[in-house]
Amino acid sequence: MSGLLTKVLINYPYLVAVLLFTIGTFTVLTHPNLFKKLLGINIMESAIFLMFVASGNIRGGVAPIRGTTNAEAVYINPLPSALMLTGIVVSVSVTAFALALIMRLYKAYGTTDLRRIAARRKEVISDDHLDQG
Amino acid sequence: MTTLIRANLPVLVVIAPLFVAFILPPLARRIRLVEALALLGAVLGLGGAGYLASIVLTQQENPFIYQLGGWPAPWGIELVAGSLGVFFLLVVGVSVPVLLFAQGNLAAEVGGAERVTRFYVLYLLLVGAMAGMAVTNDMFNVYVLVEVATLSCCGLVSARRYPRAAEAAFTYLILATLGSALVLGGIGLIYLITGHLNMGFAAQELSRVWLARPHVVLMAVSLIVVGFGVKAALFPLHVWLPDAHSTAPSPASAILSGLAVKGYLICLVKFLYGVFGPTLLQEFAVHRILTLLGGVGIITGSILALTQEELKRRLAYSTVAQVGYLILGFGLLNVTGLAGALFYLASHAVIKATLFLAAGAMLAATGKRNVRDLAGVGRKMPITMAAFTIGSLGLIGLPLFSGFIGKWYLLLGSWEAGLILPAVAILAGSVLCAAYLLPVIRAAYFAPAPEEDWPDPGRPQKLALLLLAAAVVILGVRPGPFLELAQKAAAELLAFY
Repeated sequence: MSGLLTKVLINYPYLVAVLLFTIGTFTVLTHPNLFKKLLGINIMESAIFLMFVASGNIRGGVAPIRGTTNAEAVYINPLPSALMLTGIVVSVSVTAFALALIMRLYKAYGTTDLRRIAARRKEVISDDHLDQG
Repeated sequence: MTTLIRANLPVLVVIAPLFVAFILPPLARRIRLVEALALLGAVLGLGGAGYLASIVLTQQENPFIYQLGGWPAPWGIELVAGSLGVFFLLVVGVSVPVLLFAQGNLAAEVGGAERVTRFYVLYLLLVGAMAGMAVTNDMFNVYVLVEVATLSCCGLVSARRYPRAAEAAFTYLILATLGSALVLGGIGLIYLITGHLNMGFAAQELSRVWLARPHVVLMAVSLIVVGFGVKAALFPLHVWLPDAHSTAPSPASAILSGLAVKGYLICLVKFLYGVFGPTLLQEFAVHRILTLLGGVGIITGSILALTQEELKRRLAYSTVAQVGYLILGFGLLNVTGLAGALFYLASHAVIKATLFLAAGAMLAATGKRNVRDLAGVGRKMPITMAAFTIGSLGLIGLPLFSGFIGKWYLLLGSWEAGLILPAVAILAGSVLCAAYLLPVIRAAYFAPAPEEDWPDPGRPQKLALLLLAAAVVILGVRPGPFLELAQKAAAELLAFY
């Protein structure tokens, strides 16, 4: 048991990633507020980024730049970090697009709460002037 | 010049639509030019796919491997145009008739001339991403393409400034991002234990290390199946689809239902068979879960479609059912079943595009959404309704139409796998499909026509509908090279089983 515990403690970045992922998914699926849903998505994606970046890290390793360190230095793996740079860009564009949609929904319904939107859907659906705007 | 094009063909089919997409925005004021260029981009993609297919089919080079930037495989990104890739590239060709349908009347569809260009940009980005999914052999590349496709799909859904559409797009965006986060997690786990992002190398390494780390592999399989399942509207995860596909403008509905969903399924096939491999799937009983979900999806999706009053919603739920057929075929784990599922994928792409475009033309002409109000439309809009009828018969799976061949091979596949229930689900799905589509046709032709004047759509729209309807019949009568490609692809995917 203590062996498992030390393993978990040594690999704590992964544990944090799992925790964050759970928190994010839970928020996305349970909160009726659109902003909270978006925050949940961001937390969830951060968890995945953390997992990737942690996988490239080596304790005591140095940045893989040739010629600046001694020969015995252990290099960390830069590839996961580079991949996550792309991941962050994707995540930012998703967030921007979702915010634009939230703005449009707020203009139409006057609320960012999914339950209230569902209640007001009947009033707004015939409102065709919004279609022109 | 031709040798240069030939040597770079796998990347050109992806780049062509993307390139055209990015030169469109400055030309926004000249709509005619934008339309012509968009069509050109899609046609170039299809032409390249045809050329590539001829190269692969005549065995000049199979698979056609292309190294991006000249870096060899484990370090660089590899594009592989094998039978599966070429097959899906040809399916992506459905985007051409759908674009043709959009010519001229898109402004009315998206509510404003200034939005037309944006629509085409998103459309071509989607087509480019789909082409990329067909040929890519790198897992992280798959993730990026999936995200490009997701964002453009959501953009297409919200193309109209209609609050309902924004709502559907938001739900879709949130769930699809959840799906891609799961997929990325799965990719991360595979990378953690194999150290490779290239599918071929990861598969080799995985077959060596999975015994030491069975839990990680199990996690990775589940993350990837659920992630792509959300995106492809696999039955219990389909909740976003009906709203998104029925509120989108008609050409967008056609491409979303016909093509976008299929791209994710092709990626799923690549992961399941190209990375994990059939042995691992059997070890974790993933194939049984897929067959079960597929069968349940067929029945439930069809019953839900049966209860819908609105024509476009009925078609959207029908897509959920048809995805069930494909997933069921992926889980049969034999060449016949997988070939049937792949052929059915192509056939459904053509059929659903026909049905959604015909429904869109009817909606545009009559302004009526509900099936009940469309009585007598067959006599007023003969060409539209003829296309709709051919599409329906194809979806039901009557012989001489493309759906029949796919379903036939799926039935043979479940027979080979010794499973009765999937076969029952396939047949029941056909009966239910007839139950939700034939009343539309009956009312359209045999009910008294109303007084109003409902004209057939314009010439490009008619041409698009006729092309798609002809494709449904041709694929049914002479499946020839398409079926051959599907069978080859299935045989290659299951080669080491």
